[in-house]
Amino acid sequence: MALVDTPSMAAERFERASFNGSATEYFGIWIVNILLTILTLGIYSAWAKVRRKRYFYGNTVLLDRAFEYHAKGSQIFIGRLIVIGALVVINVLGVIHPLFSLVSWLAIVIGLPWLIRRSLRFNARVTSYRNVRFDFVGSTGGAFVAVTLGGMVAFLSLGFLAPLASRWLWRYMLNNLRYGDRAFSVNLRLGALYRAWLLPALMFVLGGIIFVALFMLVSPQVGGAVTGLNVVMSFFPFLLLLVYGLIGLVYRTGVRNVALSAALLDGRHELLSDIPRLQYAWIIISNVLVTILTCGLMRPWAAVRTARFTNEHTGIRTHGDLGEIFSEIEASGSAISAEYIDMEGFDFGF
Amino acid sequence: MASEESIAVGEWYQPNSSRSIPARLREDGDGLAVAAGDSILAMAVWEKIEVSPRVGSIPRRLTFPDGSVFETRDNDGIDVWLRQHKGVRTGFIHGLEAFRPRLVAFAVAVILFAGLIYRFAVPALVEVAVLVTPSFVPEMIGSGVLASLDRTVLSPSHLPEEKKQAIEAGFERLAAVSEGGKGGYKLEFRDGGPIGPNAFALPDGSLIVTDDLVKLADGDQEMVLSVLGHEIGHVEHQHSLRQLYRSAGIVGLTLLIAGDVGSAVQDILTQGGAILALSYSRDAEAEADRRSVEIMRAAGYDATALARFFTRLEAVTGDHSETSMLSTHPGTPARRQDVIDYAHELESRTPAK
Repeated sequence: MALVDTPSMAAERFERASFNGSATEYFGIWIVNILLTILTLGIYSAWAKVRRKRYFYGNTVLLDRAFEYHAKGSQIFIGRLIVIGALVVINVLGVIHPLFSLVSWLAIVIGLPWLIRRSLRFNARVTSYRNVRFDFVGSTGGAFVAVTLGGMVAFLSLGFLAPLASRWLWRYMLNNLRYGDRAFSVNLRLGALYRAWLLPALMFVLGGIIFVALFMLVSPQVGGAVTGLNVVMSFFPFLLLLVYGLIGLVYRTGVRNVALSAALLDGRHELLSDIPRLQYAWIIISNVLVTILTCGLMRPWAAVRTARFTNEHTGIRTHGDLGEIFSEIEASGSAISAEYIDMEGFDFGF
Repeated sequence: MASEESIAVGEWYQPNSSRSIPARLREDGDGLAVAAGDSILAMAVWEKIEVSPRVGSIPRRLTFPDGSVFETRDNDGIDVWLRQHKGVRTGFIHGLEAFRPRLVAFAVAVILFAGLIYRFAVPALVEVAVLVTPSFVPEMIGSGVLASLDRTVLSPSHLPEEKKQAIEAGFERLAAVSEGGKGGYKLEFRDGGPIGPNAFALPDGSLIVTDDLVKLADGDQEMVLSVLGHEIGHVEHQHSLRQLYRSAGIVGLTLLIAGDVGSAVQDILTQGGAILALSYSRDAEAEADRRSVEIMRAAGYDATALARFFTRLEAVTGDHSETSMLSTHPGTPARRQDVIDYAHELESRTPAK
């Protein structure tokens, strides 16, 4: 109310987001979701997703107002049916002639940017804040540059150009994001991204050295023989996976901080993200450990803990009144419902 | 007038706008009205108002036909009114989700179901998947894996040609008595480099033997052949395809059922699943061991040659470990004993001619 009813203050106001949910409350939602998903042979999972998303969006509060998730279970269910149907068709065609399946998989790879763009748009459009929907206006070509080309550049340069790829990705995601009739914009400096890249790059090199040393230490003892190899082989990939997963996490968190902190809403309101990277990594690691040790039963606690931590390190600095914002989406009414198909597996979170 | 009582207080949003006004919801004849002070902001009969389902204690939204929205945190106020005045039992799912002792029963049920799915549904799905897999899939996997192994760890074999031919000749005798027949398998010799003495089977029937394995056998050709018999067993039972589907199925079902497992757990599941897909289960190893005994015997070789191989392996690696819960492979001594027992069992059933 303060924003709307008090005379617009030219002064700036800074506020962090918060998370109001609790682990006990979410536990009930989570376990009922799982139970009903099993009892309905998986069909309920689409509606379960809506309840889960609504719980997390609805408890994410910024400037005294909560977000809302509007997708319907039926939309997600239909989207999933289409994906499954496509997979069945591809496999049946593959049986008829191997060439078909090669062609269809090629089409999927080429069609990936299209899917990503649709997924981003779907997720933006089903999200609202203060009764106004978000929207995403990025093009398929943009998704191709941001994701396919960016991924290739990062991979082929052995990670040295990863900040460049991150810049493409976040530019695509933020510059095309709309909140009602207002646009987001981001001015990403490569220098800042490389500063965020430094720590994970160092961890990568250090991790590599430790692994090589460890491997040297272990391999003479087992003589590289069949059974010894199995022990080593079943042990190392997991450790490698964990360490490099962790490095990826540290990098992505750093990039998120840089990108969101460089973003503006309506050309003047500054977003902010200041997640402490190592502390966040610790939260994720301990969450995984607790989740595994309790056979998954503490997963709701872990999810709430992550959401709270992320939200509390995300904020906005408003310069003057946000003013009245109009939804552009609702105006076009049911005509857009055709676009309301969730492409599963390509959920990009903002 | 009783109907003037307010049901809940909250905020009213104009259609498609972020502008909100503090307001209260009250009963109005047949329906509901949103009022601020004395003025009515929106009203409609109850049937025309869309009430969002209750989830936890997130704000409740009532959307009026004109597109305006009343939002309130007073979930209970809304539910009580709906129940008392309209006899509508809203929030059945929300009722289930309330943090009560019965959630313990739900958790137990979920764990039981998970066990049943793992025990029965996953194997059934794997069998169905294997049945409908077109034959070119194993071929594509096989040639793809061999090509990438050749690029990374494997290099051309340095074994003398006559040695290769001798093993090849013995191998053909094995192949002739196996299900795939002579054309079903392809023997490949490679220098294994860092992977040492090893042999493995690809889904398309390619068997790869490393030079170190042949050297480990130290001229005992039956020993090498018994290992090849073991690998033929893996191919016959389509173990690698089964393992691939198994880990994919477990990962897929976990993600579907648990919904959101967190990106870190998801990474571990998918990547770890891919790694696990490359190793056989303990049952698969035992099955292949027995098949080696059968094939060796049928081809007229020493059926217990695989046991000799295990003895040699123990001597070289010093593996005298018992089978442990954590390892995917049974301990070598246990496998050696099983091979000898099975050979005796076959012998007593139908004595070799």
